[in-house]
Amino acid sequence: MEELLALSFALKSDLFTTVRLTAGGICARAGLSLDDAEDCKVCVTESLLLFMRNGYSSARVQFAQDNGVCVRLTGENGRGAAGDSAEDEISYSLLGALVENLNVERKDGAVTEITFRFGS
Amino acid sequence: MEDGELFKRYRETGDIADRNRIVEKYLYIASVLAKKFVGRGVEYDDLFQVASLALMKGVERFDESKGLQFSTFITPTITGEIKNYFRDRSRLVHLPRRVAELRVKIKRAADELLTETGKKPTAQQLAQRLNVTEEEIVRAMEAGAVVSLDRNADQDGEDGMSFYEVLASEDNFAEQLENRDMVVSAVKKLNDTEKEIIRCRFDEELSQTETARRMGVSQMFVSRMERKILDKLKNDLKKSMAD
Repeated sequence: MEELLALSFALKSDLFTTVRLTAGGICARAGLSLDDAEDCKVCVTESLLLFMRNGYSSARVQFAQDNGVCVRLTGENGRGAAGDSAEDEISYSLLGALVENLNVERKDGAVTEITFRFGS
Repeated sequence: MEDGELFKRYRETGDIADRNRIVEKYLYIASVLAKKFVGRGVEYDDLFQVASLALMKGVERFDESKGLQFSTFITPTITGEIKNYFRDRSRLVHLPRRVAELRVKIKRAADELLTETGKKPTAQQLAQRLNVTEEEIVRAMEAGAVVSLDRNADQDGEDGMSFYEVLASEDNFAEQLENRDMVVSAVKKLNDTEKEIIRCRFDEELSQTETARRMGVSQMFVSRMERKILDKLKNDLKKSMAD
């Protein structure tokens, strides 16, 4: 698996557009369909919102490519704490609906890492 | 009243008022999810309508006896309906038109803002003026950054070479050449320099610039030679076919 790009940034919503555009570019490079690319962007945003709600102040996103695009998001700098359960529940359900191979790592109830994959 | 009891009573009585209570309680999920899919060429109102209908269908299908929370059940159901809606609308046809329309609006808004403020507008200002997201602005502008292959590759435009001529060949011309006896025999008639150019350009698929570097000549020389060689081959082939 070829690691393509890693971004570390403050969890501020005005940076999300930049990250989403990056995700879109990576998906285009990997030859994903427009639908998959858009779904990937939704998942990236949703994961970042989860980290925000779970008390992190920054995050790291790593994109890798094999036959598709693998995305690993990690919460950084902050005290991971369980977020609002209703909002988190919708986020997890949405992620689960958009990707088949979602993996969520937790520590003391708070999410620490989210990985998923798009493409064949 | 707890959700479970409300669902149970609705199953028993079929009272539309109970169904509406459930739908109203969870309508925010339809709204939240519709917002997450905005920016794909479908307006929020349309997405909200699709999501709301999915919510109503979900109320009918939900089985409270299985112990699952309704919110956990309904999120993938609504998401699936929204995705089906995108698929059915064949976004591939609609999105480019929308992007093209947005580009026209961006140009107009940019001119207006420049007149008003005396400064070139930012993506944020354009997004506010046009009531779209910054991401849509950036994507539409990016979509316009397509370079015509017919445009001059050289900024001065002096040598008249287009990108098409300078870029490395992507077709499998060399393979086709090898498979055609007539062409092979025509190529055999070329001198060594001409053969080397053909080999670099169509066998190794080098660009004209790369070919020029390899041969220690200018790109202009390769370009002129290439045209000359191709004319020569065409004439030779025409002659062979006439014979």
